[in-house]
Formats: sequence, C-alpha cells, structure tokens
Amino acid sequence: MAFINYSSREIQLKIVYYGAALCGKTTNLVTLHKQITHAQKGELVSLATDADRTLFFDFLSLNTKTLPGFTTRFQLYTVPGQAIYNTTRQLVLKGVDGVVFVVDSHWDKMADNVESFANLQENLIENHLSLVQIPYLLQYNKRDIPNAAPINYLEYTFNNRANRVLAFESVASTGSGVLETLNAAARLLLAKYSKTPNANVTGMAQPNLSVAVPPSTEGSQVQAGNAAA
Amino acid sequence: MLTVEDQTAIEQRLADFLGKSEAQWSALVDKGGNLFAQSGDTGNLDLSILSALAAGSFAATHELAKRLGESEFSALYHEGLGQHILMSALHHECLLVTIFGERTNIGLVRFYAQQVTLALNELLKQASAKEATAAPLLLDGDFLNDRAAIT
Repeated sequence: MAFINYSSREIQLKIVYYGAALCGKTTNLVTLHKQITHAQKGELVSLATDADRTLFFDFLSLNTKTLPGFTTRFQLYTVPGQAIYNTTRQLVLKGVDGVVFVVDSHWDKMADNVESFANLQENLIENHLSLVQIPYLLQYNKRDIPNAAPINYLEYTFNNRANRVLAFESVASTGSGVLETLNAAARLLLAKYSKTPNANVTGMAQPNLSVAVPPSTEGSQVQAGNAAA
Repeated sequence: MLTVEDQTAIEQRLADFLGKSEAQWSALVDKGGNLFAQSGDTGNLDLSILSALAAGSFAATHELAKRLGESEFSALYHEGLGQHILMSALHHECLLVTIFGERTNIGLVRFYAQQVTLALNELLKQASAKEATAAPLLLDGDFLNDRAAIT
C-alpha cells in the first residue's frame, strides 16, 4: 500500500512485474536501469540463482519529482516466474500498489501466460487484494520473435475483462516499449492523487467491447477500446 | 501515512534506542519494504535496498515459522564478522531493523529493542487511527502528462 510521509514529503509506491517464467520481467528492470538517465535511480538488486533465474525478486528504486511538492519513490520488483516459487510470489505482492503483467508473445507460452495470470489473481486474494482494487496493465513482450501471437489474440485472451486495461507491445531486450510501460504504470498509480484524473490515464473506463483490437506497431500502446472502429 | 509529528516521535524513539543500545542504525520498515523512519548512520548504503531486502528476509522467515507451526518468529538475527542485523516484528505490518557492530552485543541490543518495540507499537497504533480518518491526498496540477514522464 502506498506510503505517504508528510515529514519528508515523500510517497512510496510499489510496482510488481509479474508473469510466467522467462517472459522478460527481469529484462524489463535491467533495461530500465540502463535507459533511465534523468530520474534518480538506485542499484539494481537481483536475488537470482547461479543460472540467472530469479530466486526471490529483482529490485530497482526510482526517485522522481512527478508530483508537485512530493518526491515519488517507485519501488520496482519482479517475482520469480518458475512454478515452484509460488510462496515467494505471494510475499513479493505484499503491499503492492500496481502490477505490470508481462506476457510472453511466443505461441508456445500461451498456456504458461494464462496460468500465470490466474496465479496472479489467486496470490492477490492471498494478500486480501484483487485486480479490481489494484491498478494493472499488460505488456506484450518479445514482439520481435518470428512466431509471435497476434496482438488481437493476446488482447482477446488477457484483456477481455469487464474493464479493459492499457496494454503495450515491447521488446524488453532492446528496450522497445519498456519505458512507455513504466510511465503508464506510474501514471496509473499517481492518478489517485490527482484532483482531475482522466480516463486516458487510468485506462480503466473503457467498456469491454468483446471484440479483439487490431495489431499495432512495435513498442506502441495498444489502443484499448478502439476495436469497433 | 506518517504526519510530521508521528515521524518526529518515531525518530526520537529510535534515537533513544540507539543511545542506550549503542547500535549503529535503526529503522522502522513495513513488511512491503517501505522505509518509514530511521536514525543513525549507515554510511553510503542504499536504504531503499536495505529496507527491501530486510522485508524480504523477514517475510521468508515468517513463512518458515508458519511451516513449523509458529505464528511468527518475533525476531531474526544475522551475525556477520564485524556487523550484525537484528529484525524485530512490530504491529501494523512493520519491522524494527537494527544494524550494530563491535561496540555492543546482541544481548544488549535485543533487550533495548524489546523495550522500544512497545513504544513504537503504541505510536503506530496512533498513526494508524489518524490515517483511518484522514482526508485523501489530492493534488493540483497536471502531473500525469508527458512532461512529467520518467526518463
């Protein structure tokens, strides 16, 4: 849960990158650590195995001046994707403010993606939370692979709830779409502190049209709700 | 949420604790990894990382406790060659994290940690009651546009 300190004028917000094993969660943080040059960033910490698989979490802290009169500290975490680390995923979700769900675009990973999305919802319930309360967005990663599933398929599979959420295409290994995803997640979380939030920022006000959206270009936002056009 | 008064009161308790125990640094951290308040000196250590790792470590220990049939291990101690860490569970999903060195010992630190824990729990209870009735933070200005983007 967001922590507001009126003494140091600081707001701390926790964003968790969630998704199936090897979908690119850690790569997102590694790329962000390289790409971000203006915001004050901490060291990237990875609690990983010798084979570079996330064991507990990766962590990156960013200090920004996005809110007037406050320093906003975004604490970015990843979870371990492997099935055996479910308890760890529950622990990392403790106190979460927002979720970036990373989808592996590879056709062969669809079942893993779906299972991970269901697992996210179960683990939020374990933390007495749900996707209705916790702002989240989708990142369709690995868009550069030859056998990537079409965006309209991914939208139909993962963005077919009562309220459609923001979704972004990305290639985390090259940096495409990574910063855009983070900024959208940050705005999503900060919208609750705005006297005049708008639907374009929250991305939650679009009704589900039950029609898949057309594919968009790499690294760009998938326009939620424009399918009827 | 911590008001200026809450923060001052908590930091005062932490400073008193450091004075008595001769520990080096102490902090109030929540179980989500947020640093609430701190006192003492850690040199150039990144306190966000320290808080995140402490919370993660304590969370893992909590799961171990559950599997052993304990509701919680109330304290966790990591012993190093020159520096050591004691983590103590507080109410309201918080932890007291203390780093200490050769000037003192675990017995003394733990004794005073148990005392300050009671005082901190009371302060957290008051802060929690205030938060429940506080107006939500709402700010003017368009801080959701591209000019405020993280780059």
